[in-house]
Amino acid sequence: MPNALQKPQSAATAFMLAGAGWFVVGALYGMVSAIHLVAPEFFSNIPWLVFGRERPIHVNTMLYGFTGTMLIGCGLYYVPALLKTRLWSEPLAWVCFVLWNLTILSGPVCFSFGYTQGREYSEYVWAADLMLMVAVVLAIYNMVMTVAQRNESQLYVSVWYFFGAMLWTACNYPIGNVMWHPKTGAMPGLIDSIFLWFWGHNLPGLLITPLATGAAYYVIPRVARMPLNSHTLSLLGFWFLVALYTHIGGHHVLQSPIPNWLKTVSVVDSVSMVFPVSIVVINLWMTARGVGRRVWGDPAGRLVMGGIVWYLVTCIQGPLQSLPYLQRVTHFNNWTIGHAHIAMLGFGGYIALGAMWHILPLVTGRSVYSNKLVNLQFGLITFGLTGFFLDLTAVGLIQGSAWNNGETVYRVLPELAPFMITRAGLGIFILTGALVGFYNAVMTVLGGRRLAAEELQRAEEPV
Amino acid sequence: MKMTPGVLIIGALLVFWASAFIIAGLPAATMKEKPSDIWRPLTAEEEAGHRLYVANGCSYCHSLFIRINDWDIGAERIAQAGDYVGQEPIILGSERTGPDLSQEGGEHPDDWHLAHFTNPRYTSPISLMPSWEFLGRQEVRQLTAYVQALGLKAADYRTARQKYWKQQASAAYAAGPDANVEWIHSQVPEVWRRMPNPYPADAAALARGKRMYQDFCVNCHGPIGDGQGPAAAYLYPPPLNFTTLRRHLVENRYIGGIFYYQIMNGITGTAMPYFKKHLESEKIWDLANYLGVYFVGYTDANIEPRGIDAAYEGPWQNPYQPPAKGAK
Ligand code: HEC
Ligand code: HEC
Ligand code: HEM
Ligand code: HEM
Repeated sequence: MPNALQKPQSAATAFMLAGAGWFVVGALYGMVSAIHLVAPEFFSNIPWLVFGRERPIHVNTMLYGFTGTMLIGCGLYYVPALLKTRLWSEPLAWVCFVLWNLTILSGPVCFSFGYTQGREYSEYVWAADLMLMVAVVLAIYNMVMTVAQRNESQLYVSVWYFFGAMLWTACNYPIGNVMWHPKTGAMPGLIDSIFLWFWGHNLPGLLITPLATGAAYYVIPRVARMPLNSHTLSLLGFWFLVALYTHIGGHHVLQSPIPNWLKTVSVVDSVSMVFPVSIVVINLWMTARGVGRRVWGDPAGRLVMGGIVWYLVTCIQGPLQSLPYLQRVTHFNNWTIGHAHIAMLGFGGYIALGAMWHILPLVTGRSVYSNKLVNLQFGLITFGLTGFFLDLTAVGLIQGSAWNNGETVYRVLPELAPFMITRAGLGIFILTGALVGFYNAVMTVLGGRRLAAEELQRAEEPV
Repeated sequence: MKMTPGVLIIGALLVFWASAFIIAGLPAATMKEKPSDIWRPLTAEEEAGHRLYVANGCSYCHSLFIRINDWDIGAERIAQAGDYVGQEPIILGSERTGPDLSQEGGEHPDDWHLAHFTNPRYTSPISLMPSWEFLGRQEVRQLTAYVQALGLKAADYRTARQKYWKQQASAAYAAGPDANVEWIHSQVPEVWRRMPNPYPADAAALARGKRMYQDFCVNCHGPIGDGQGPAAAYLYPPPLNFTTLRRHLVENRYIGGIFYYQIMNGITGTAMPYFKKHLESEKIWDLANYLGVYFVGYTDANIEPRGIDAAYEGPWQNPYQPPAKGAK
């Protein structure tokens, strides 16, 4: 077996770098999608670059490829680190890496040519579903064995979240993707929408959210150099999350003819989501109280804190747009696209990036190539995303109110133009941020200043 | 509570599966697949079209269910669970960059869809929908079959009407341009035919009419109203050449009411869509004046019978003379 595959923490590094790479790929597809919503005749009639095919590539590459991959990479480092041991098997983690990334690669490769199951967030073809499942199961096995050989009896909250994310995904993914129907990946009839959105909401809720929360729980106390505010609170947050999040998929099809009791459950639990969310936010902010300057002054800490701010915004917006009366206006338009971006890039993406910049030096033994570039990335993405949020929310309200008052979709199209142009313009900032980050990450691994032994030890010290 | 690995793994799985049982298991066990009044199975060709709909991501811009607060196409029927029986997958959609398609069947005849799929801008000049020409004629035909089936039995009713009137309109068109216009006009209800446009064709109204024409009509009827827009190559009968209408004014003076009726109602069976959902009264009268002034060289705006003028109207005098009797 090649030595590289045995090298401690090499798989974690690979996951993080791949995540930074997928961010660039996803941003390119996002840009083309955004341009097509301004000028549909741009690159017209190119089969593999038509909106209906490039959009799922953008979305899946961003969710699974960028946030998912990068956060798994972070977890592969912090779980063993918190357990004061090594990852049980590095080669196994590499197998996991290959399968996981092949799944993501299957997006651009298959969707471009119309090979897709077509259900939002469950588009990957069956073979790719299988690869993803094997990757997740291998990760669980690796983690269980790592826990078994641990030298620290306490399981810190980040470990639970990483475990939870993997366990839930292993159960969730096959249900939502209806993997027992390999051809369509769907159930016949209306019931499919319930299965679809079971996963459709658990992908953000029980994969990205616990991964990001786990990473934040790891980074914030370390950057703040303060112990976690309250373990009891983190315990409550964890159990609330899984108990509530699993029930709310129905709010995506709230106005469709699904059974009323399902709608009721989804709305009630959506509103109750304020509990687990506030717990996380309060717990982390209390951890950093008094040392805010230290956290915001640290380039990586700033990204993670920024992610928590976006989380709060997302989760104020979320319960509101779950209310049936408000959703008549916010559903079906760019309001939701705005929510999706502050959730996935703002919350998931910021924390993934922050955790990566925090962890890369620990796994490579090299300091981040350029902290200036990390700050530049923060600035570019923050400008782009804040703009996205304002722009898409505004245009969503225009669309939603116009429709609700009897205007047709077609009549409102001209009003979208200035907002769609602005979004495409802002996208350039996010794309640049992705490129800067990728360059910086690669340079860190290749040419970052080697940390002296005692520097590294200090950096790795638990709090 | 102390989080041991056992508590963590077993607890996490227990809570998860309990929730999964409620949210996915219970509905699976209790939701009955009962066909609604409009349900029918899809034909093989429609199935093929459905697969193309899924494969090409039409669902990212189109939804497939009508809500109680919808007004756009399809709003006549609010979705019911039984409309979806047996379809796999039924992608309800989460975004309406384009309109809902759950009742699209029979909204337009097949030739409209051919032009539209080839390039949506041909029929709908400001559309954001991609061109699907690259799919080739066979797949476009399958897609058309599928969208014509959306609405199932309700769609069948509408497509049958399209087919019936397509035959009549084609026969009329084959009989020559003048016979064609006479036939089209004979389908307009009597009361509309002798109705002049009640509103002035002043500069502002014509400017509004022009904007509307550019947004909705120009790629069929053409920038000079001769019916030679890029869509014409796909449509039969082709878009009307307005310039011939000069010799078809009713009693050599009326055309406004016919314009209004045709734009509001469309000409079912031909590619001419109805615009009553997009445009309300003032916009349609403005368009009628625009067509008249720019393409026929005459509008009957504000001539007798005219009733009491609306409160906003200025002292506008119609300067247009009807064509000399018998002139070609
Ligand atoms: C970028 C988003 C987008 C995609 C992708 C898209 N459409 Fe559209 N579609 C629109 C818009 C916008 C309209 C309204 C303007 C028009 O008529 O073209 C529309 C209109 C339509 C209409 C006409 C509705 C009517 O009666 O007025 C049909 C039918 C249709 N689309 C079918 C499809 C099919 C089938 C696909 C997939 C092959 C598809 N669309 C993909 C945006 C999209
Ligand atoms: C998709 C192509 C298409 C579009 C778009 C379209 N039309 Fe038409 N129009 C037609 C066709 C086809 C006919 C009838 C041809 C026939 O039967 O000979 C027609 C007929 C008409 C007539 C009937 C004239 C008469 O004297 O009875 C009017 C008026 C008209 N169109 C106005 C408009 C206006 C105004 C718009 C834009 C708001 C518009 N059309 C958009 C295709 C189109
Ligand atoms: C370069 C910057 C980006 C641009 C230009 C961009 C553009 C777009 C566009 C045009 C859409 C489709 C919207 C529609 O159908 O109306 C979209 C959807 C989406 N994007 Fe992005 N995006 C960018 C970055 C990101 C990032 C970084 C993420 C996540 C980490 C992300 C996640 C999503 C998601 C989840 C959706 C689906 C939203 C939904 O269906 O509600 N995007 N994006
Ligand atoms: C309190 C928490 C939250 C609530 C109550 C909530 C609620 C909602 C609702 C109601 C929708 C559907 C909107 C519509 O279609 O009209 C939605 C969409 C979405 N949410 Fe959230 N949300 C929450 C947090 C999050 C988080 C943390 C993430 C990501 C990590 C997220 C990601 C998304 C995405 C990607 C969509 C778009 C789905 C689509 O394609 O339509 N949400 N959310």
